[in-house]
Amino acid sequence: MSYYDIDSILTDAEKIPCTFQLDIPDLGYLDNTPKQPLKAGTKVNLPLWLAEMLVIANTGGPDNKTFVTFDLPRALGNDVVQALKADPRAVPLRDQSAHFYGLATHMMDLSEEQELGSVLRKTFVTRAAEISLHARKVGGVSTKGKGKEEGSNLGIGGAGEEFLRGLDEWERKLFRKAHDGAKSGKEWMDSIKKN
Amino acid sequence: MPMYGDQGNKLVQHAKRMQNLAHLPPYQTELVRAVTREVRDLDKDVASLLEPFQGSFDPSADQSTACTLLVNHLSMRRNKRCLLAYHRTRTNKLEELVWNGSDVLDLAGQQAGGGANGATAAADGGASSSLSPQEEDYVRQYGDLLAAYKGQWTDIDLTGSLEPPRDLFIDVRVLKDAGEIQTEYGAINLTKNSQFYVRQGDVERLIAQGYLQKLG
Amino acid sequence: MALPLPLGLTHSEVAFVAEMELVTVVPRQRLESIDLLSGKTPPLRPPHRADLPLWLALLLKKQRRANIVPPPWLHPASLADIVHRETKVHPHAFSEPMPTASRARQSQPGYAGRIGGGDSSEVILSPPFRSNCTSAAPAGYLPYHWLEVAEALITHASDDLGGNTSEIRGLLRDLVEVRAAKMRDSAETLGAEGQGGVVSLRGVGAMELAENRGFVLGVVDGVRKIGGAVETARREKEEEMDLGGGDGGRGGYGGDGDSDDDMGI
Repeated sequence: MSYYDIDSILTDAEKIPCTFQLDIPDLGYLDNTPKQPLKAGTKVNLPLWLAEMLVIANTGGPDNKTFVTFDLPRALGNDVVQALKADPRAVPLRDQSAHFYGLATHMMDLSEEQELGSVLRKTFVTRAAEISLHARKVGGVSTKGKGKEEGSNLGIGGAGEEFLRGLDEWERKLFRKAHDGAKSGKEWMDSIKKN
Repeated sequence: MPMYGDQGNKLVQHAKRMQNLAHLPPYQTELVRAVTREVRDLDKDVASLLEPFQGSFDPSADQSTACTLLVNHLSMRRNKRCLLAYHRTRTNKLEELVWNGSDVLDLAGQQAGGGANGATAAADGGASSSLSPQEEDYVRQYGDLLAAYKGQWTDIDLTGSLEPPRDLFIDVRVLKDAGEIQTEYGAINLTKNSQFYVRQGDVERLIAQGYLQKLG
Repeated sequence: MALPLPLGLTHSEVAFVAEMELVTVVPRQRLESIDLLSGKTPPLRPPHRADLPLWLALLLKKQRRANIVPPPWLHPASLADIVHRETKVHPHAFSEPMPTASRARQSQPGYAGRIGGGDSSEVILSPPFRSNCTSAAPAGYLPYHWLEVAEALITHASDDLGGNTSEIRGLLRDLVEVRAAKMRDSAETLGAEGQGGVVSLRGVGAMELAENRGFVLGVVDGVRKIGGAVETARREKEEEMDLGGGDGGRGGYGGDGDSDDDMGI
């Protein structure tokens, strides 16, 4: 991740629910009411690039509070966490957020969520093994017992396609890496035969 | 409700799509202009917000103004990051194309002509490059730099194939007339549709440029 | 050339390097010593065996000027033994790599010493300088370039394999599959609590590394970033306690480098 990292920049556009702690006359547009002042207590979804600083910047007032407070986005809510604990492979993460893990690591930076880290770790590696399996199939390496006719790109069944559709950006990258590895392995095998 | 940073985000989404393309899509002149305009507007806002304070603004005394200023500042910073990342992604792509030996400036014109705006682009003639004028300049100078760097070695082609050779000699078919080339074993005249058994190192460049096709 | 270049060696590079492995040939014609960059080849005198680099052996084989003696580990019995160990004995680990060549010490019967170890200044530790694929190699262990050498011999010297080609091919497929499954499972081991995120890749071959490098590093990186978020939070808290609040710089480990200072110009 660097300043120029495209995925990191897109992750920063993910929105999280925030609550303003004071009245701000000029920011009504953030709540779709450009001419009105933004009232304290208003809930607004703000992108991470904005929210991250507002939740840590001190107002400088005597009560030492911050401009906004935040909640965990629904993508990391209890429902999702419980579902991931039950079976990580059954949750289409992409439906929660295209940058699920990126969003989650940002939120863990901001909050003191202890449990989230270990659930995510388990989720990531369990799904990674599944990703590798599919990537190997799609990469053209037919598994034992299955003939070449299934080694084609369409060799993955409906359930596999469903799983792959639900991958978030980190996982898509992982899939591409595993797929490229399997594919160049296959190409090497074919090249020996030719020579 | 459009928000500050939305335009910049669009720009980065363009960059994201670009990463998986073999060619370089057209430069988003309008979008880049819109984002820079947004930065200028934000800067004006900041200036007018601060004007009444005559250079002695105390954030803790006027928290709501402080918050607005922070939001404006973060929006400008976000836009800057989006702009820089977009351009950096494009220059990385351009450098890759130069290393691959493709004629980027020529290629750019063709692609713009073959796109959805084919008709209008063709009517515009040469003015339909998918590169910005600055990018064209960059490519030209980067190309010169690379050529000067490569020129230091005569027997190693820095932009040559990185695939380990399988055989020193290969069969090739000529796809386009490539004229006469000099090899260690004499001159060969590469006319279309003819086939030759040649040393791979002698023709690697021509294969990359699409003049020759490797057989077998 | 796609930038950035892939990490480590690619498949074709590994295959190229593997051709430096020494194999044993039985020459059918005389051939004088050749002065190669890697050293002089032994003169070939039929019917005496000689060790040659794989690429040269394959060339002579294609020209029918030599036969290749398959390394003992490629024998069906040896491969079946390895498959048995990989599936039944150690179903969660890769089988042991080939042991360092050793030879009985004449002065102390019953003891063996590493070849080149001790008194000699000639230390032979890694392929292609270790004879892992010659007829002198031990059976029952896979050398670093097992898949590359095996595939090359099956394709170009199948008549030297004693009529066992299809059996060998089947056993190799089994090995490839069972080890690929272990590599997949390694992802889960990496994330298991208390494992310390460590997976032993001892005994994994060069081609397998080339195939899985991207994936495994991707998993490691992901686990690191997920753990890193927790770690950064903890460290920042510690620093705050130490310094009484820092300057809020976040460019270091686990930070995402989104401040203007991270532009790297």
